[in-house]
Amino acid sequence: MEQQHDVILSVKDLNVKFSLRGKVLHAIRGISLDINRGESFAIVGESGSGKSVFVKNFIGLLDRNGWVDSGEILYNGMDLAKFKTDKDWLQIRGKEIAMVMQDPMTSLNPLKTIGAQIGEALKLHQNLVGTAAYNECVQILNDVGIPEPERRYKQYPHEFSGGMRQRVVIAIAMACNPKILICDEPTTALDVTIQAQILNLIKDLKNKYNLTTIYITHDLGVVANVADRIAVMYAGDIVEVGKCNDVFYDPQHPYTWALLSSLPQLGIKGEDLYSIEGTPPNLFNVIKGDAFAPRNPNALKVDFLHRPPYFEVSPTHKAKTWLLDERAPKVEPPPHIAALREAHKEVRQ
Amino acid sequence: MSKWSPSERKCRQHEQSVVQSSEQLLNAKDDLNTEEIQGLSNDLFQKADYDASQAERIGYSNYSYWGSTLRMFFKNKLAVAMLIIMAILVIFTFIQPYLPGQRDANAINNYPATHAKGGTPIKNRKPTWSIIWDGTQEIDFLDEEAKDALPFFERISWSVTRYFHRMSAAFKDLFDGEEDVGIFIFGTNRIGQDLWSRLWQGTRTSLFIGIMVAIVEAVVGIIMGMLWGYVRKLDFFFTELYNIVDNIPSTIILILAAYIMKPSVSTIIIAMCVTRWLGLARFVRNQVLIIRDRDFNLASRCLGTPTRRIIFKNLLPQMVSVVMLRMALAIPSAIGSEVFMTYIGIGLPIDIPSLGNLVNIGRGYITYPGLRYQLWFPAIILSIITICFYLVGNAFADASDPKNHV
Amino acid sequence: MFLYILKRLGRSLITLVVIITVVFLLLQFMPVEGYFDNYEKMTEAEIQSGLVRLGLKDPLPVQVVRFFKMLLTGNLGISRRYRVNVSINEIIAPKIWVSAKFGLISMALSLPLGMALGALMARNKGGLADKLGNGFIVFIQAVPNAVYFLFIQLYGSQLLNISLLYDEAVTRSIILPIISLSLPSIAGYAMWLRRYMVDEANKDYIKLARAKGVSNSAIWFKHVFRNSVVPMVNFIPGSILLTISGSIYVESLYSIPGMGGLLVDVIRKQDNSMVLALIVIYASLSILGLLLGDILMGIVDPRISFVKKEGSR
Repeated sequence: MEQQHDVILSVKDLNVKFSLRGKVLHAIRGISLDINRGESFAIVGESGSGKSVFVKNFIGLLDRNGWVDSGEILYNGMDLAKFKTDKDWLQIRGKEIAMVMQDPMTSLNPLKTIGAQIGEALKLHQNLVGTAAYNECVQILNDVGIPEPERRYKQYPHEFSGGMRQRVVIAIAMACNPKILICDEPTTALDVTIQAQILNLIKDLKNKYNLTTIYITHDLGVVANVADRIAVMYAGDIVEVGKCNDVFYDPQHPYTWALLSSLPQLGIKGEDLYSIEGTPPNLFNVIKGDAFAPRNPNALKVDFLHRPPYFEVSPTHKAKTWLLDERAPKVEPPPHIAALREAHKEVRQ
Repeated sequence: MSKWSPSERKCRQHEQSVVQSSEQLLNAKDDLNTEEIQGLSNDLFQKADYDASQAERIGYSNYSYWGSTLRMFFKNKLAVAMLIIMAILVIFTFIQPYLPGQRDANAINNYPATHAKGGTPIKNRKPTWSIIWDGTQEIDFLDEEAKDALPFFERISWSVTRYFHRMSAAFKDLFDGEEDVGIFIFGTNRIGQDLWSRLWQGTRTSLFIGIMVAIVEAVVGIIMGMLWGYVRKLDFFFTELYNIVDNIPSTIILILAAYIMKPSVSTIIIAMCVTRWLGLARFVRNQVLIIRDRDFNLASRCLGTPTRRIIFKNLLPQMVSVVMLRMALAIPSAIGSEVFMTYIGIGLPIDIPSLGNLVNIGRGYITYPGLRYQLWFPAIILSIITICFYLVGNAFADASDPKNHV
Repeated sequence: MFLYILKRLGRSLITLVVIITVVFLLLQFMPVEGYFDNYEKMTEAEIQSGLVRLGLKDPLPVQVVRFFKMLLTGNLGISRRYRVNVSINEIIAPKIWVSAKFGLISMALSLPLGMALGALMARNKGGLADKLGNGFIVFIQAVPNAVYFLFIQLYGSQLLNISLLYDEAVTRSIILPIISLSLPSIAGYAMWLRRYMVDEANKDYIKLARAKGVSNSAIWFKHVFRNSVVPMVNFIPGSILLTISGSIYVESLYSIPGMGGLLVDVIRKQDNSMVLALIVIYASLSILGLLLGDILMGIVDPRISFVKKEGSR
């Protein structure tokens, strides 16, 4: 069934570079991506693939030594890639796009009460002060599942546990009334038991407030839980993007195969765990062709010469791999992946 | 090799394939358009040879701690300039006695027999060049009224010409006179000693004190720190000692130490070291604890890394930079303390020239404009030394901090 | 909280007692001349009997206990050479007031100026203000105080047409001493505040605050500055108390009849009992200052719980 595609954020051919130790690092290498309104979008990739850098461009929090070299980020009729001053970004930050960061232990100001910190957001974005702000704050704390909000309002971050702090961070994001909520590895620093709670909380809030959520994570379990659509990122480029089921059950890019194969759950008891040979490429160098080619046992000669374009697998699923070209030989995915495909086909029938 | 020999052919084949692949690489580009995609030859879609070692090679980090440290340091133009000035100054200080025409710092210089004041010490004589300048003020060849009548630009050229006339006449006149008395670049002091040699002697003394303080502090601090860290039983004792000493301003300890011991170069060095080594010892102790206890070192040890490598790779970089910083800053600090101690009367005896002594003696002449040079010269040299060491030390500290290694 | 203060107080007292004992013992090595004002004229026999009379030949533990007993009654002893046979308390009392006056005025000036400079430098990191401020700080800290104090005195008095020395009757004459006293403090506060602010500005919660949409100036003032001031609070009580001890340099340069000048004179005159008394005072002030500083930090920083961790004071 075709869905109405209402694109809220559109990235066109974004290139981001950093100047590091006297050399130029090409961190984001020409990404084009559309995010639809109201969906839950996940970006997966290894550490260093550029996921955080990518989303930082949506709120202008790129490090000082980085810049947008070319490309556009279209939101609400504005091109965020052209924003230069703080003033420009103040229209977006919080108000339109809010962010939940990775480490709840350091994300909160240790010397301000959490009431004050949420209140700051309320004042900026909903223009609430005094009692009205207090009431709204208590209400938000309730929403995010913090018990005894009246008492907690006056407490300091160090009086909260990790999971609670992350809830507070989410509360602050909610207080901004954003349209898009970016969650950068929101559960990585938390206990496994708390992870599920936080993810469910975000899901509930998304439904309640009609948010669009963007998740950054390297944890495929999280992705499977929450995402409508997934983008797989490698070496500053998105190599495969599609609906959750598409990517999990019918992956096309060899990197996605490798990624999924590394999941311990897919392995057979007693076997060696699968790990991808080699290391991600050095982004100081210019990369010719497919960045994953050197680590890909199924690489074609053309992979080393020209970067593949997107090949459509279905209207909702595309991947950047020459294997999808008609001239390419038929390559079978690794056994685990093939098994997944079969299992999925059975379920569908 | 003949054109047709097998080895020649082999070579050429190899060359051709190399040329071919380079051409291909040169033509390699991303984001081909649809036409170009259609145009790709079919053989490109064959499987390439998979080389596992290539997979490893492509990613690496070119970070080297010392490389980054040195690069950051040399990027700092000011620090490099200061380092050069410092080096020149220190080298000059130590080779000065061996240059031709230098006088002994303690010798009392007398007027030559032919002079009016023959035989008596040359007391409080201003620096030779300033005498010459004063003398030139007497010389003129155009009176003031005529000068005021001149238009602006002519007046300037008149002043310039007068200046040169004065200088050359003065040099001829007075310089001849000076040769009899002797040239004193920085003048003489109250009892007739040459300030130039005294100043460099004093600089040597002060630098010596500073460097010795730095070295003793480093040696004692590191040894004590290691003991403190390794021998758990000593931990309590040292920590209490540190807490106590930390509570007292170091000036008090300095005063106390100097009051009790008779002032001399070695007692001053000891007095200054008494307070300083504890700070370094504490730092070293923390580093030792890091070797013993921190997780990443535990991990290293589990992987089988020998302790020596842990010391060299994890410990030493941090320690060396901190120790060097403390040594660099010890020198201006020691000189400052020495000035302070001399000031309150517990410093070096006057017959051992040091920057502190010279500054203090000069201070006495502050109300006599003609004699202020006895304060100026030591003060300026002192300031240059302290500023240079301080800046270089701080620049090095900034450069060796990994957070700044962008 | 109260328990914490008590514990801390106890610790400080112990430290103080230890220090005083150690100093007392060390000062046994002081030259014997320091106890008599006409040492040169005394015969050996007179010296010995004098020492006995003063109780200096008694066994050490007895001397120490006697000294503490004296201290507990608030008596700092008697001067033998500086002002013969005058009670030290009498000598010190007026001088404390003079030093404190100068010190407090200087603090009232240097604290706001220093912090303003530090904040300006942090905000403009790498810019002109930062470079100039840094040059100023480097100069003040690298060059020994004696040198620039001298030049301030010399050229300041010419420029502003004031006398070289401090005169109680002439109010204008406090300008140069106050400037000299303030400069090192301004440099110190500026340097520390800048350092703290630059460190805070890199922390994660600042990034979150930015992502929240807080404006740049609000970030700097409400978050970075506020959080950086907290560690600085630690050394403010100490600074205030140490003003009582007076600056040794400034006071002797300008002949200000304060505590600092007293120490110099007393050393020159080799008056042992006064040296001892003054060191006791300085040590006590210093310890008290650190104690108050820790307590103040505990009040201002909500993270500090009052359960002591090992390794700190």
